[in-house]
Amino acid sequence: MRHAGFAGEVRVFAEYADDFREEADVAVVGSGPGGAVVARELAQAGKRVVLLEEGPPIPPADFELEGSRSMARTLREGGLRTTFGTVMPTMQAICLGGGSLVNSAICVRPPAFVFDAWSERFGLAGTTRAALDPHYEAVEKFLGIGPTPEDVLGPRNLLFKRGCDALGYSSEPMPRNVRGCRGSGECFTGCRSRAKQSMDISYVPAAIRAGALVLTSAQVQAVRVEGRRATAVVGQVVEPFTGRTGHRFEVRAKEIVLAAGCMATPVLLQRSGNLANGSGQVGENLQFHPGVAITGVFDEPTHPQFGATQGYQSLHFLDRGFKLETLWAPPGVLAVRTPGFGLALKQRLAEMPFAATWDAIASCHHSLGRVRARRRGLDPSLTWQLDERDVPILQQALWTLAEIFFAAGARKIVPGVHGIPEELESLREAEVIRTKPLRGSHLVIGGNHAFCTTRMHGDPKQGVVDELGRCHDLDNLWIADTGVFPRCSSVNPMLTCMALAHRTAGAVAAQV
Amino acid sequence: MALFLLLLAGAYAAWRIFAGYAPSPAGVGALASREIGFLDAAADALFPPGGAIPFSGRDAEIPRYVDAYVRVQPARTRTLMRLLFFLLEHATLVFPAPGGVFAGRRRFSSLDAEQRVAVLEGWRTSGLFVRRIVFTSLRAILTMGYFAHPGVLRALHLAPLAIQSPVCDADLLYPRVGAPPSTIAYGADDLTPPSDGTPLDPYGPLDPRFVAASR
Repeated sequence: MRHAGFAGEVRVFAEYADDFREEADVAVVGSGPGGAVVARELAQAGKRVVLLEEGPPIPPADFELEGSRSMARTLREGGLRTTFGTVMPTMQAICLGGGSLVNSAICVRPPAFVFDAWSERFGLAGTTRAALDPHYEAVEKFLGIGPTPEDVLGPRNLLFKRGCDALGYSSEPMPRNVRGCRGSGECFTGCRSRAKQSMDISYVPAAIRAGALVLTSAQVQAVRVEGRRATAVVGQVVEPFTGRTGHRFEVRAKEIVLAAGCMATPVLLQRSGNLANGSGQVGENLQFHPGVAITGVFDEPTHPQFGATQGYQSLHFLDRGFKLETLWAPPGVLAVRTPGFGLALKQRLAEMPFAATWDAIASCHHSLGRVRARRRGLDPSLTWQLDERDVPILQQALWTLAEIFFAAGARKIVPGVHGIPEELESLREAEVIRTKPLRGSHLVIGGNHAFCTTRMHGDPKQGVVDELGRCHDLDNLWIADTGVFPRCSSVNPMLTCMALAHRTAGAVAAQV
Repeated sequence: MALFLLLLAGAYAAWRIFAGYAPSPAGVGALASREIGFLDAAADALFPPGGAIPFSGRDAEIPRYVDAYVRVQPARTRTLMRLLFFLLEHATLVFPAPGGVFAGRRRFSSLDAEQRVAVLEGWRTSGLFVRRIVFTSLRAILTMGYFAHPGVLRALHLAPLAIQSPVCDADLLYPRVGAPPSTIAYGADDLTPPSDGTPLDPYGPLDPRFVAASR
C-alpha cells in the first residue's frame, strides 16, 4: 500500500494473496543496520530498491513488556539460541529493523588500532579509521548519535561513573542512536518513547520515502546465479511469529546485497549451492564478544528500572582486550543470574531495587567457531569454542568490575562465577576473582555481537568479500552485515556495520 | 518367565515415569500433566511461600507461564525444553536424592521439599559443566516465569511505567502485526512531536496495560 508523502511502499503479511515477482536495480536482504543503510542510500541515489525482511514490522502496540515473551517474538529460535562447543546463549532478531529494535542503541567508533590490525593482517589498505570516518559521520548525523544526556542516566549508570572516577579509569556517557531518551530502560523490548532511532523508524522509512519497496514477512531462501552474476533472490512469505511458510516470490535485480546477519548470510550462501565460497571461508572464523557481568548491591536505592539501558561505558581497558558497560534488561532476564534457592533467593531478588549490573565485553581473538546450515530450515548450527588463552581477559575484566563496584560504594557483589563464593562483601574478599585459576567452564558468558563469517580480505583466497563488500567470486553480489568484519571490532559493532554498509552502498550505486 | 519379568519391569518403569500425576489445570495444553507436575515442584523449590517477596512460584503460576512459553517456541526448541524437564524429573530414579535408596529414588516431583532443593543444588554446583548448564537452563525458565507475574514486579517496584508513545512517520506505514494496512490508525494529521527527553518519574504511574494485567 502506498502512503501519502512516501514514494515507495511497504507490504505486510496480510497483503500477500498470491505468489509474486518483483524487478529492481538492487535487492537488499535484511533490514537490520547494514541492510537498512544500504537501502536508504541507494533509494536516495535514485535506484529502484527492494528491501526484503523476514520478520514483521512491530509497532509499540505490539511490544511485549515482559522479557521472555518479547524475546520469543522478536528473536530467532524464540531467543533461546545457543552455540555448541562452549555452550553460550546468543541471539539474532527477526523483525523489521533487525537487532536495532531490541538492542541498547550503542554506537561507538572503534579506535584506530582496530583498523590498523584489520588493514595489516587482512590486506585491507583502504579500511583505515581515517578512510571510514566520513562514513561514520554520515551515519551519525542521520541518526543523531550523541552521548546519553545526564538527566536520564539514573543512579545505576552514575554509580559506574563514580567508581571509575575514584579509580582513575576513564569513562563516558554512552554514545547512542537516540533522540529524546526518557530513561525507560526498555531498549531490549522496544522503545515505547520512540526515542531510539532503530532502523524501522529511521533508515527504513527514509528508504520508503525515497522510493524503496519494502517486503516484510518475506523469507529469502536462495540466491540464483548465472555464471559470475547473481540474478535473483527467491523465497517464501512467512507468517509472523509462527514461521509458517506460504506464497513464493522471486525478486530479480541487477545487484544483490545480503545483509541477513552474520549468522544467516552464510547459511543463505550455503543453501544457494555453496555460493561465493571459492575461499572456503563462508561460515568460518565466527567470533563473538563474549560478555561477563557482575551485580553489585548498594545501600541506597538504585531505581534500576529508570535510566538509559546501557548509559555509561569505559574504554580504559580496550587495548587490554575488554570494554566495560552498565547494563539493565527486563528484570526476569537479569534475575536469572541470582544464585541460591528458596527464601534466600527471594531475599536476594528483593535487593534488586538496590542493585546495579555492569558487564564487560571482550575481544577474544583466539576463540573461533563456524556457522553451518542445518539439514532443514534457515536457522544456523553454531559451533564456537572459548579458547583458554582468552580466559585471562575475561578474568581481568571481572576483577576490574569488582574494583569499580567497591570503589562506587557497593556493600557486596554477586560475581556469578563457578567456584567463587556467591557473594563477596569487600574488595579483599573479591581478590579471589583475580587470584583463583579459572577455566572457561567456570564462567557464565553471553555471546554478544557476532562477526567474521563472510570476512573481507584483500586476498580472494582468504576472504569472501573485498573491502567494499563485493564477493570475490561474483560480480554483483555484495554483503553488508557484521560477517564482513575480518576480526572483532573490540567495541559494539552496530555503528561500524552501518559505516561499512554506507561505503558499500556507494560502491553499489556506482556499479548499477 | 523371563518375558513376563521383562514386561513387568517395563510396566513398572512406565508407571514410575508416566502415572500418578495430577491432571493439568484448565487452559494448559502444550505440556503434559507430568511436565506440569515437575515444573510445579521445581517452582516450589526455587520460590517457596513466604520470605521477602509475597508471591511463591505457585502463586506466580510458573507452570502455566512455561506452558505458554513452550507453545510459542520453534519445534526444535520445544523438544529440547521438554527433554530438559524429563531429564530433571527422572534423573533421581538413576541418581537418587539424599534420603536413602528408596526414599531418594523417586521422581523429582515426588520428593519432599528438602530433597528437591538438595537435588537442584547438586545440579547447580556440579563439577560437570554440562550438569550446571542443565540447571542454569531450568533456572532461567523458572525465573523468567516468576518475573512474568505482574505482582512480582510490582512487589519489587520494577513494574514498567506509563509511557505515551509519540506518533511518528513509521506509524503511518506499519499496521499491528498480522493486520492489513487498512487498520493503520494514524494519518499525517495525527503525527505528534517526538519525545522531548523529559525523564520519567520512577515513582510515576504504571503502564495501564500492566495495571490491568495485575489484577
